[in-house]
Formats: sequence, C-alpha cells, structure tokens
Amino acid sequence: MRYRRKTARHEVQAAVPQGAVTRVHVPDDDAKAHLMTAVLKARCEPGEELELFGESAAGLPRPRRERLRARVGAVSPIVGLITNLNAWENIALPAAYHGAPALEQVAMLAHEVLAAFGAEPRPFLARIPDELGMLERKMAAFVRSLVTAPELMVFDALEDGLSYAECRHAARFEAEYRARQPQGTVLYVDTREES
Amino acid sequence: MLQPLREIEGGIQLSLNVAARAPRLRVAPIFESFLRQVYFTGVTAATGVVLRACGLGVIIIAVMMDMLDADVDLAVKILLLLVFREIGPLAAAVVVILRTGTAVSAEMAMMRVSGQTRALRYLGIDLYDYLVLPRVAGIMLATAALTLYVQFLAVLGGLVLSPFLIEATFTELTDRLFDLFAPVDFYYSVVKSLLFGFVIAACCCWHGLNPPDLTQNAVPKAVTRAVTQSAMLVLLINAVFAYLVFGILFFGLVKAHV
Repeated sequence: MRYRRKTARHEVQAAVPQGAVTRVHVPDDDAKAHLMTAVLKARCEPGEELELFGESAAGLPRPRRERLRARVGAVSPIVGLITNLNAWENIALPAAYHGAPALEQVAMLAHEVLAAFGAEPRPFLARIPDELGMLERKMAAFVRSLVTAPELMVFDALEDGLSYAECRHAARFEAEYRARQPQGTVLYVDTREES
Repeated sequence: MLQPLREIEGGIQLSLNVAARAPRLRVAPIFESFLRQVYFTGVTAATGVVLRACGLGVIIIAVMMDMLDADVDLAVKILLLLVFREIGPLAAAVVVILRTGTAVSAEMAMMRVSGQTRALRYLGIDLYDYLVLPRVAGIMLATAALTLYVQFLAVLGGLVLSPFLIEATFTELTDRLFDLFAPVDFYYSVVKSLLFGFVIAACCCWHGLNPPDLTQNAVPKAVTRAVTQSAMLVLLINAVFAYLVFGILFFGLVKAHV
C-alpha cells in the first residue's frame, strides 16, 4: 500500500510493504482521518494518491473499489460498533449480510479469539457496546474485522483510551492476526510522535 | 424554498429504493430487523397504548350518540362510517407516529450523528437494505395489523356500550352492522393503513438519515420534523382517500359532487 497527501501545511506519505508491519505517524487528526477514509473507502480525494494491493485507487469503478475494500480490515473509531446490537450481532453482521463465511465459523473464530484474550466468550458476546469497556470494544471490532480474513489490517489509534495493562493486551492483536494471516500486512496509524 | 423540494425528492428516492430492494428482505439480518420492527410497532403497542386509543373511540361514540339522540341506524352508521373507516386507522396511525416514528427517527439520527451509518458503509452494508427496508416493511405491516385491532376493539366497545345509551339491544346493533358492512370498508382500511405505515416510516427514516447537521442537537430537530410531517401526510392521505373512495371530505361533513 502507498499513500501520499500534500497540503499547504504538511505532506503525509506512507509506504507499506506487503507482509510487513508498518507504523505511520501523521501530524494531526485531520490527516489521520483523510488517510483512514482513503484506505477504508479505497478512494482518494483531490490532492491524494493511494495505491492498494498494487492498484491505484484513483478513478476506480465502484465494483473494483468494493473488492479492494473487502481485502482491508480495521480496528478504528471510524468503523465503530453498532450500539443497538450486542457484541455477537456486531461481529456476525457483515458475515450474515454478505452470506459468507458461515455463522458457525464466525462463532468458532469469536470464541477462539476471545478465549485467547482471556475473555469469557458467552457473557462477552451477549453484551451491547455500552456495557463493554474500551479494550473490550476494540476486541469486538478486531474479531469482526478478522471474520473477513483481511490481507491488510489497519490499527487506528489502537492505544487511545487504554490503560497501560490494556495496551499490553491490545499489542497481542497483531500476533493473533499474524497467526491467522501469516502473509498479511499490518499498518498502525497514530497521531502521536514516536518516543 | 429549497428544503421542502429536497425533502419531497428525498422521499420519492427513498420510496423507489425501498420498492426496488423488497426482495432483499429474505437476507437473514434484514429479516431479523424486520421482525424486530413488527414486534416493536405491532406487538408491544397492542398491549397498552392501543387499548387507550380504543377507549377514546368508545368515548367518542358515547358522546355522539348522546348528543345526536341516536337510534339503531344512526348508532351503527356512526360505528361504521366514523369509527371503522376513519377513527380506527387514524388512531392506529397516531399510535405508530408517537411510538415508532419518534423511536425510528431518533435512532437513525443518533446513528448518523455518531458515525454508525458510516461504519455500516465501510462494512459494505447498504443503509437502505439494513436500516430503511426492514423498518418501512415492518411498520407498514404492523400499522395494518394495529388498525384492524383498533377497529375491532373500538367497534366491539361501541356495540357493548350503545345499549346503555340508546334503546337497542346488542343483537339488533350487530345485525344492522353486518347489513351495512361492505367489503370495500375492509379493503379501504387495509390499503389506507398500509399507506399510512409507509409514509410514516419513509418520512421518519428520511429525516433520521438526513438530520440538519451532525451534532447531538440535530437529533431532536430531526424527530420533530419527522413527527410533524408524518402527521400532516397521514391527514392528507386520509382526506384524499375519503374523497376518492367515498366522495366525502372532512370526515363526511361535506359531501363532494362526484
């Protein structure tokens, strides 16, 4: 994946080699929102350049953009949970809507991943997002994005709102993704400066 | 001036979209959402609010019979022409607007303001499929069912109450009612209530998905617009239907020359 956006104030560039783990630090929230929107929509606005999976997103027809989008997963505040659905319904919604993968597979995946993170799957999945903590919401969003087996996983501001102990938990998302998609690409996007 | 035109255009587009996507109701999460809507609009409303609406209908009958010094014929005509044809569908529509219309518009406006509609789009889920279609179809069906329920209870209540107000037995009133009742009365209320449900749902969905801005303050504004416009549309449709089918205006007070 390659991204470039130039404005009067700054220039944001990101080159994410396939199969690698890349961290991109953007100057501000606006720049992050532009980057995330471009990647999640597989579409670039004037002044932006985006190449996803070797294909330029500029002027792509809708069906091809949809196909590219389907290869991207994200844990991001932009793709939050639906508040009137419980965690299981949130996780299963894309699969149920698109008809694939089978809900049994989704349930198995959810149970495996949640158990790996030390959560009790049954009560966890029955709760609505307002009853979940920040880390739990990110876990639900992570499981939901794993369902589609994405080739590119984007973690947007993953540590925002988490305590130190929760950040250590969240850091295991990458390993969990890797275990399921060994060839997958991971992109961390943040506005903070690298320490 | 542009806003009403935009709303009319939006309403038409939404209606066409819903009609074109009707077969998508078979998709599991959409069908579940449809069932939830039917349950919320039809079943939960039937327990308390509708009974009160029926009570209101019965009181109207009692007052009118007393005021007009009604006989059997007039009592049955009041029950059929006023309660069955007009008050039943309108009472059900009012219940649907107050309970479901407010809930749907507030829920959708909240989803729009908090970015949940955007999240659905990123997940490749069409908003018309997942949010609008099941609500419109569910509210239409539930409104028709509620209307029949209100009509049945209100007419039954009227038949039970009337012998205490006028010199007529329950059997006499029932026989006369069946004499006067025509199938067109039934079809008229079913079609009208389906249309009521459709305009309420379409109007509330449109305003919910198109709040005036994307702040929390936009939610009550969207709800107010949705409810007032739904009520106006229901009254308009009621007047047009009464004129088209029976040639009467203003609940039968004015007879049109057709």
